[in-house]
Parts: sequence; structure tokens; C-alpha cells
Amino acid sequence: MSFNRLEADDFVVSADSITAGIFTDSQIPTITTFFTSSTQRTSNSGDYYLNVFSNAATSSLEFAVTYGNELGSGSQAYNLDVDGKSPSSTVYGQYRTLVLGDENADFTFGSITSSDFWAVSMERSRYKESIFPGSTTLLLRGPDGVISLTDNSQVASSVVFNDAGRVFQLVSGSAGTVFTTLESNGYSIDSGSYGLFLPDIATYILNPRALSNDEADGGIGLDATLTSALTATDSPNLNTIFTAITHSNASSFTANSEETITSDFVFVRPRSSQFNYSENPSFISGSTGEVLYSSFINAPTTYITTVGLYNDTNELLAVAKLSKPLEKDFTKEALVRVKLDF
Amino acid sequence: MGYLNNSVVTVDAILTTKGRELLAKNDGSFRITQFALADDEIDYTLYNPTHPSGSAYYGQAIENMPLLEAFPDETQIMKYKLTTLPRGTAKMPILDVGYTNIVIKQGASLAITPQTLNYLGGNQNEASGYTATISDVRLLSTFEGVGIDSPQTNALNVNSTTTLGTNVSATVVGTTINLRATTVNTLFGANTALYATMTIVGRDSGARLQVPITITKVS
Repeated sequence: MSFNRLEADDFVVSADSITAGIFTDSQIPTITTFFTSSTQRTSNSGDYYLNVFSNAATSSLEFAVTYGNELGSGSQAYNLDVDGKSPSSTVYGQYRTLVLGDENADFTFGSITSSDFWAVSMERSRYKESIFPGSTTLLLRGPDGVISLTDNSQVASSVVFNDAGRVFQLVSGSAGTVFTTLESNGYSIDSGSYGLFLPDIATYILNPRALSNDEADGGIGLDATLTSALTATDSPNLNTIFTAITHSNASSFTANSEETITSDFVFVRPRSSQFNYSENPSFISGSTGEVLYSSFINAPTTYITTVGLYNDTNELLAVAKLSKPLEKDFTKEALVRVKLDF
Repeated sequence: MGYLNNSVVTVDAILTTKGRELLAKNDGSFRITQFALADDEIDYTLYNPTHPSGSAYYGQAIENMPLLEAFPDETQIMKYKLTTLPRGTAKMPILDVGYTNIVIKQGASLAITPQTLNYLGGNQNEASGYTATISDVRLLSTFEGVGIDSPQTNALNVNSTTTLGTNVSATVVGTTINLRATTVNTLFGANTALYATMTIVGRDSGARLQVPITITKVS
């Protein structure tokens, strides 16, 4: 017989969380250089968002930045006869639906509501399943200084959920550590948190009001342009946030991705009396099937190199190769653990 | 293709092409229920039972060999299975189909009834039948296995008539394999013959035989 049945005890299913750097080179969690594409910037999509790359190669797309305004301010109206409808109002509605799930709701940062925001949306292939909470450090520079932002996942007493999954506040800090110089919660109560961190949709929503404060009040003087859609001529706020990210003295963005790998462990246990002969043509001498050496008649030795996993109809579903041949004879048993990742 | 690092013992596992296909079907056929072991890449002539340093060194030339990574093509791996036979077995099961080379004229039929020699004390047909895989199913207008009536085998034989994408091989199961050569002239082009191989595997013994097939053009 060549096939052995597997028992229920031979299967173990395990789910493990794997974290890695979120950017193109997953071994390095931080990028310090930021580029945009002039082609994308001048295209139709450039009215809505800017793609940001970590080097000049277009394969290094890391994230996109965008700006949303409930009133359509800060970007040019679609039609000069219709006020309030512009790319910024479209983006606002898009994120409101995605994050709040209620067309009448407003974004609330801390306890302060806002009618506009900047958003940083990570490239899908970079973040795998989500952004790992507590791993973010984003440096922003404005006219009044530099601020380091992180999420408050490590100090939040409970996890808050909305239509976009888990929600944490963006606060002053680094890699999950909250800086309490200004306030114990890491942001000014009067202007609200610096934004929302939505790890499950890999998005940071930035609060312009908190960032526009002067340095003494915890801001960096970064003002969004609120020109009416009817008079705006382009989308200056995209450039504002990109400049804030890339123009700090030591521009830097750090984060880790997170994904859950479900593994199926199969334990293969050839017993001492099993699998001691081989159909390998070199095991056989001559055309009548005699074993190669006379010593193989009573003391055969085989070498396991491959484990095949089959279904009931003997179809080969998965295969595992050992890194070196494993000797097997009537005095040896083996236990091979095969791990299948899904 | 690459070699595995053999400084430590590891297991490199992948889904086969068939495994991915069945996983995508999501019909319950991707269910691992049994295993087999193989010694692909091993050349037992390297085993030296007269090594002057003693029995600990008989397998020296085999044990340290680096192995290649797994191939996803299920027809290119698990070729030579290890089998469980009684201690004292002097002859290994081998397959006999009565042909060393099958030549069929265009449109002609042939029934093959494999037999396993040296198996369970004699020469006999295996109870679970034989798996036959034709490398290019376009060469045959009929390719079917008969003689094994079980839900699993019947399902396998029905599925074998499906040709997906560029995969033109087909597998059937039975105690008798019926072939009928194609009548399609366009397959021949300017050639007078078409060639393929048929791999037959005993489902109980694991014995394996590969037979070349030639289809000759009639007109």
C-alpha cells in the first residue's frame, strides 16, 4: 500500500498575526523620501488625490493623500453655476459614507467636529490586511514647526468601532508612545485630536483645525485653503499636506502592516513497518522486479524526500519536500510536520 | 527551480496545480484525507552496502545530497512512491500492460488491462484499479477507465473529460483503460504520426509504468 489515512489528530489549524514594514521594502518600516508623479498630478485623478512614492520608480507607490470638504471648498467647482460641488466635496462624501456610514454625521476628532479633513490612504498591496496599531510615527512640518503623530492604541482604555472598524485618535507621540507635554491625552482639548487612525481600512484622517494651531497650542500652523469652490482654481490642499509630509527636516513615515496567516498543520507519521520499500526504478534490479541489493530483502532502507497529501480520490492536493533525505527502515519511525499557509 | 538549504531539516510545502484547482472549485474536493511518501531524486545505486567504513556509511552518498524545491505540477512529483510490503519481500510490484510501446491507427480502438506482478503473493489486478494519465488528451477521441464503480472514482472519470485552458492532460481510473485514437486530421498537420505518453500507476501498490503512444495517420 502506498497511501495512509490521516486521523483527526493529525490536523491542527493555527492562525498567527504577522507584522512587517508597510512600505515597499518590508524589512524597513520607515521611508524618508517622498515623490509624486507629475503625470498623475496633472491628470483628472490629480484633482482628487496625489499618489506618493518612496522613490522615483512608479512601482514604489506607498500611499495617496487627499482632501475632503463638506462644502466643496478648496477645490474647483465641477460647474461654476453650481456651488459646493467639487472634488473636495466628493471626497468628503466618499469618506463620510466609508467611515461614518451616515450622510448626516460629521467627523469628530476628540470632542470637536470638523467639516473638512486630509486623508492618507495606504496602498493596498503594502498594508496586507491592516496597519498594526501602535506602529505609526508620522512627521509633519508646517510654518510653525514639526509634529510627530502616532495613534493612542496603547493607552486607549477601550477600542472604539465605527463603520470602518477600529478607530483610534491620532495624537502627539511616536510609535504608540503618547507625548503628554501639551495635554495628558496627547492633543489639545479645544481643537480636538490630530485625526483618526483607522487601521482596518489603512487610513489616517487628519484634522486641519488641530494642525492649524500655533506651536504653543500644539499645532504647526498648517492651514487648509478654504476658498469657495466657485473661485478656487485648483486643489491646493493636496500640495499642502504633501509638502507637510515631505518638508520636515527629517521627513519620516513609519508604520507596520499586519496580516493573519491561517496555517494548516498536517502531521505525517510513517510507522516502523511502513514505507520501507520503494517503486523507484533504481531500487529495482532487472525487469522482473528484484530489489537492487540482497540486503534490501530483509533490511530495506529507503529515503523519504517528498510527502504528498491526497484527497479520497487520490488526487495530489499538496506536496512537501524535505531539505535532505530522511532515512527510513524497519527500525525507524518518522514524524513530519507539514505547514500549509492560506 | 532551486535547491533547499539542507544545513537544517525543513519542509517546503506548496499546493499543487490540481490542489489550487480544487480549492477554487470550492466543492469539497479539496479535503486532505491521506498521505503518501516518495523518494523522488534518490538513486539507490549510490547506496553502498560494502562501504569499508561500515554500515553507518552505507547511505553516505545519499544522506547529504541537497534536494530540489517542490514542483507544483502534480505529474512531475511523487513519481516514485514508498510502499508498505511485508519484510522479506524480494521482488517489488511492477506493472505489465502487455505493451512497451502502443501504436494505434487513426480512429482505431484499444483496451488496456494492466496487471501488477509480484503483488500480494502473485500477479493480479489491483482492487482499487489503476490511474492512467495521457499527456495530450487531444490524441484520443475516447479515453475512459472502467471496472471501478465507486462515487469517488466515477466523479474523477467525469471530471477527466473537462479540458481547462492549456492543460491538455487527462486522468482516468479503472481496471481497464479504453482508448480510441482521434479522427481529427488537422491535429497531424504535415506529420504522419502524433506522440504522447501514458503513465499508469497502481492505486494500491504505487507501481508506476510509462508507455509511449503513437497515433499514425491513416489518410
